[in-house]
Amino acid sequence: MNLSIGDVVLPGDRCDEISKIAVKSKVLIGPGLRRESDNVYITKPGILKKRNPNTFWVDSYQKRYIPSRGENIIGTVIQKAGDIFRVDVGGSCPAALSYLSFEGATKKNRPEVQIGDVIYAKMLVASKDMEPELVCVDSHGKKGRLGVLTDGFVFKSSLSLIRKILNPSCPLIDSLKKEWPFEIAAGMNGRIWIKANSMRETIAVGNAILAAEYLSDEDIKSMCNNVASILAGHLS
Amino acid sequence: MENRKKLSLPKSVLDMKFMKKTKDRLEKELDNIEGHHDLYADVITDEMRQASGNFISESSFIYCADLIEGRLSFNGVNPEIERLMELDKVEVNNGDMQKDVSDEVLAKKMGQFQRKRRSSPSKSANVKRKKY
Repeated sequence: MNLSIGDVVLPGDRCDEISKIAVKSKVLIGPGLRRESDNVYITKPGILKKRNPNTFWVDSYQKRYIPSRGENIIGTVIQKAGDIFRVDVGGSCPAALSYLSFEGATKKNRPEVQIGDVIYAKMLVASKDMEPELVCVDSHGKKGRLGVLTDGFVFKSSLSLIRKILNPSCPLIDSLKKEWPFEIAAGMNGRIWIKANSMRETIAVGNAILAAEYLSDEDIKSMCNNVASILAGHLS
Repeated sequence: MENRKKLSLPKSVLDMKFMKKTKDRLEKELDNIEGHHDLYADVITDEMRQASGNFISESSFIYCADLIEGRLSFNGVNPEIERLMELDKVEVNNGDMQKDVSDEVLAKKMGQFQRKRRSSPSKSANVKRKKY
C-alpha cells in the first residue's frame, strides 16, 4: 500500500515516499518514524504529516511523555537531593534539576524552590539510558519564560492536545484571550498550568482547553463564545 | 577517496638500509588498521557501512511541527511574560536580521555609486583614446 501525507498510518507500514526523497536530499524524520537501512517504517499509529522542507512525522494520540531534548515541560518538585532537585515530569523516571541552573543562582545564593513547587523548565539532556536533566535558564543565563510557577492550577491532558493548542493555526487561545485575562503555560509533557483572576475563570479556561481536543477550528470558536457567555451569566 | 590516500614512499626507497626505521613504522601502522577491521567486525554492521547521511532523526515534535511558545499571558496578568511576547512579535515582523541601513538609504547610496562608476570608465576611455 502506498502511503501519502495526511493518511492514517499504523506501526509497521513502510513509507517509500520518504526514502525516495532521501536519495536526493536530506530529510528530517520526526517522532513515529524509524529508519531501517534505506527504508522508513512507521512506529506509531496516527496521521502522517509533512512540513517543508522535507520534514516528516506522525501525529499520534499519546498520554505517556517520553522526554526529548529542547522541550519545555511542566514538572513538580518531589525531592531535594543535595545540589539537585528531582522533578516529576510524567516520564519513566524523575528528571534532575540543578539548583545552579536558575537565573542568578550561585553556590551561596540558592534559589527558593520547595518540594511541591510547579516549575516550567527546558529539557537539557534526554537520552534513553540516562536520567533526564532540566534547566530553568537559556544559554545566556537568562530565565526568559522558565522558572517556578506560583499560584494557578495544573491539570493533565494528552500530548496531542498540547500540540493542537500550540499550533499557530489553532483559534483556541486567540478566542480565549479576548474574553478575560489569564496566563497559561503548556508543557510538552501533557501538563497545562493556568492562572486567572478568579476560580470561575480558571475553571472556564481549563474546561475550554480540554473540550477543544476533538473539535474543529470552527467549533472551537463557538465553544469559546459559549463558555464566555455562560461565565458572564454567572458573574452578573 | 584517492586524494585522501596518504602519500607513500616507493618500495625501492623503503628497501634502502637507512629507511629501515620508517619501513618498520609503516608496516606497524598497516597492521594496526587491519587489526581494527577484525577487532570491530562484529560491532560494525552492514547497516553502518551503507548508512547515508540524508536521514536526520528527531525525537521531538517541537522541531517538526511549527509550534508557538508554551508560556503566554494576556491582558496584564504577568507583565514580564507579556513583554517577552512583544519582543518575540517584533522579531518575527522584522525577519531574522535587524537592518543597520534601511532599504531606501541603501538604494540611494548604491544609485550614487553606480552613477560614479558609469561616469568614471568613460573618462578613462577618453583619456586612452587621446593617447593613441
